[in-house]
Amino acid sequence: MLSRVADNLYWFGRYLQRAENTARVVNVHANLLLDLPRKVQFGWTPLVEIFGSHSSFHEHYNEYSEANVVRWLLLDAQNSGSILSSLNSAREILRTTREHMQREVWEKLNDLYFFVQERGETALTRSKRQEFLSRIIDGIQLIYGMLVSNMSHDVGFQFLRIGTNLEQADMTTRIIDVRSSDLFSTMSFEDLLPFQNIQWMSVLRSLTAYQMYRRHVRIRVTGASVLRFLLQNREFPRSVTYCLNSIATTLPQLPNNRPIERAVDRTRALVHDANLEKLLEAGLHDFVDEVQIGLGEVHAAVSEAYFRL
Amino acid sequence: MAIDWQQYRCEEFHDELFKAPAQPRAAAKQLTDYLDSLSTADLAERRLAAELAIKVMGVTFTVYTEGRNVDRAWPFDIIPRVIDRREWEKTEAGLKQRAAALNLFIQDLYGEQKIIKDKIFPAEVLADSVNFRPQCKGMTPPNGIWAHICGSDLVRGGDGTVYVLEDNLRVPSGVSYMLENRLVTKRVFPELFETTNILPIDDYPTQLFDTLAAMSPRQGDEPNVVLLTPGIYNSAYFEHCWLAQQMGIELVEGPDLTVGDDDCVYMRTIYGPRRVDVIYRRIDDLFLDPEAFNPDSMLGTKGLMRAWLKGKVALVNAPGAGVADDKVVYTFVPAMIKYYLGEEPILPNVPSYLCMDPKQRKYVIEHLDELVVKPANESGGYGMLIGPRSTKAEREKFKKLIEANPRNYMAQPTLALSTAPTITDEGIEPRHLDLRPFILSRGDSTYVTTGGLTRVAMVKGSLVVNSSQGGGSKDTWIVDLENDMDPKSLIQIQSQSQSHKKNGNGNGGKA
Repeated sequence: MLSRVADNLYWFGRYLQRAENTARVVNVHANLLLDLPRKVQFGWTPLVEIFGSHSSFHEHYNEYSEANVVRWLLLDAQNSGSILSSLNSAREILRTTREHMQREVWEKLNDLYFFVQERGETALTRSKRQEFLSRIIDGIQLIYGMLVSNMSHDVGFQFLRIGTNLEQADMTTRIIDVRSSDLFSTMSFEDLLPFQNIQWMSVLRSLTAYQMYRRHVRIRVTGASVLRFLLQNREFPRSVTYCLNSIATTLPQLPNNRPIERAVDRTRALVHDANLEKLLEAGLHDFVDEVQIGLGEVHAAVSEAYFRL
Repeated sequence: MAIDWQQYRCEEFHDELFKAPAQPRAAAKQLTDYLDSLSTADLAERRLAAELAIKVMGVTFTVYTEGRNVDRAWPFDIIPRVIDRREWEKTEAGLKQRAAALNLFIQDLYGEQKIIKDKIFPAEVLADSVNFRPQCKGMTPPNGIWAHICGSDLVRGGDGTVYVLEDNLRVPSGVSYMLENRLVTKRVFPELFETTNILPIDDYPTQLFDTLAAMSPRQGDEPNVVLLTPGIYNSAYFEHCWLAQQMGIELVEGPDLTVGDDDCVYMRTIYGPRRVDVIYRRIDDLFLDPEAFNPDSMLGTKGLMRAWLKGKVALVNAPGAGVADDKVVYTFVPAMIKYYLGEEPILPNVPSYLCMDPKQRKYVIEHLDELVVKPANESGGYGMLIGPRSTKAEREKFKKLIEANPRNYMAQPTLALSTAPTITDEGIEPRHLDLRPFILSRGDSTYVTTGGLTRVAMVKGSLVVNSSQGGGSKDTWIVDLENDMDPKSLIQIQSQSQSHKKNGNGNGGKA
């Protein structure tokens, strides 16, 4: 396995996961807005926050209107994290690593890329958006399905898994961070109650976690239980703990894996030991920051051990 | 009936599919009958299916234009070009002969230079060659093979004779498109493969791998073969990926390789360095190794030439093989065949005028408006003058160029290139085409692709087939009439599959 190829497979996993999460988050957000009373609407700003692209958004747009934000997240080539940009990056990578994945993956990704490029404008109208985003999510899931069932689970595949899981862990923490911050701070406690539930449900839905949460948790949706599920659950594939465990299972197939193992263990412990009730009262944002630093360390360790030879 | 072959005007040039209006050649008859049976809508549907297949399969080529690279869908015409197997066998023998002579010639030039001493090949041509690499003098690569992979361009003139137009010995490309064209055709016209005995072509990647592996300096072990690409911005990058994938070898870029103190080549892997035995390099000589050639090259790997000269790694094609890929050297190939092999050339060259010869130069300059003038070392159809289509200013410019550097130019009469029916915006019309087969030389055996890549000039009357300049391509069929399959009528098969569809139990479906 060439170092350059390992690097590419890792990023391929990340870009695909990024595009899929973005599609989900936009979709759920649009639905959430429909449920909120007009006077408490917080608009589209949080979406730009989730993906951490505030400053570059400002360079290109004046206001956080629905049309601007949706275009920015889905189609704007100047946003390196937009769905179109992510798919394009994945495609550029696939060109240089085509011989490592079966050609059907290339065909499907190409197909999806052209779909987004050609039909993207339709997603700016609300009535067509859901269908458009669903097709992106389906398309990416199809590619994962092909990779998991048809690609040899060799060392290259492990890099794909590391990239995919690290990106998911990162996305999950971002969604928790923005969604749990004081979205409703302008409301009085009595006004807030009916909507608190909706807020946490939307967090779950952004991560397709709602149904699984229901099956696992069996109590009403509360902040602490949602956080516990998304951070510490060992069985839900988009929880941070699950993602880190997945990364840990790839390590036996990789040479010189000690530094990565250490970084993964440190971050796992951090998530595992967190007192979530307390964090909900204060310090959640700082805690999420800490977890993200931990994920960054995992990335740095992988990159140091395999890509920069 | 959508296609009226009576209306197809094929008299002006030799046509590959028709001997006269509405009279197909024997090998093409099943094809033209079949096309005849399609409605206009059918044909349009097949054409669309081909376009879609090419897009989805991601068959692209890169054009460098206005300072940036643009990825374009591979241009493809769905009507195949058909060659009778009996004719092809002769061409194949001619190509093998040519490749053998060219390899002996290159070995001789870097060795004793007997052909110069015997006054068959002029020393001054060698002295001015930009592709001669003095670094290679005295070297003998495994089996004496320098040009392991050769792509020779063939054209057919008005009288039906097949000529060799040029031999590409540096980094010939196009073979992936040859194979992809066949896949597309199978998707678009599956019925034809049931009734016509079309020889398969998909053996090439295996043959190429065997050729490469046979060059390994380490015997016994499973050789580590890699394909070295200049990277994603090269116009043939699609092909580099494609070949690496088909052969199951690593696609590497210059920075992926290092040459150690032991003069062996290693690639950087996640396990640390791993030894490389054979490099199928798709980088030009001058960018291969900044230590030996262009010091500014970012594409190559420092020390590759050192490793090759010490016999620690095989480079395919060998550095310096391009010395025989020169339009002036080309004119000496028939003489080389006689000199080295003692045989008469099976395939003729296009008659050529050498500008270095004062008499021939005078003729060229006086007849610029009739001739095609080519520089010795350009490829891709660049830097040429096509006399009959040139302006006075262009001819003046070439007169000066030739007089300033006569060694660098040769000229040929404008050939009446053969045509084949091609779908155009104006309907089905004859368009000019050529053929690029690929020849693999290992020393103990030689392999020629079954047919090759047919390139077609999509613009009416144009002779320029290069994809970088508006050319398209066709699938190329070598049809075996003698061992024909059950001669079931195509129409019958088609009507059968249609009735299946109606009954809802067919598994054919549409292409």
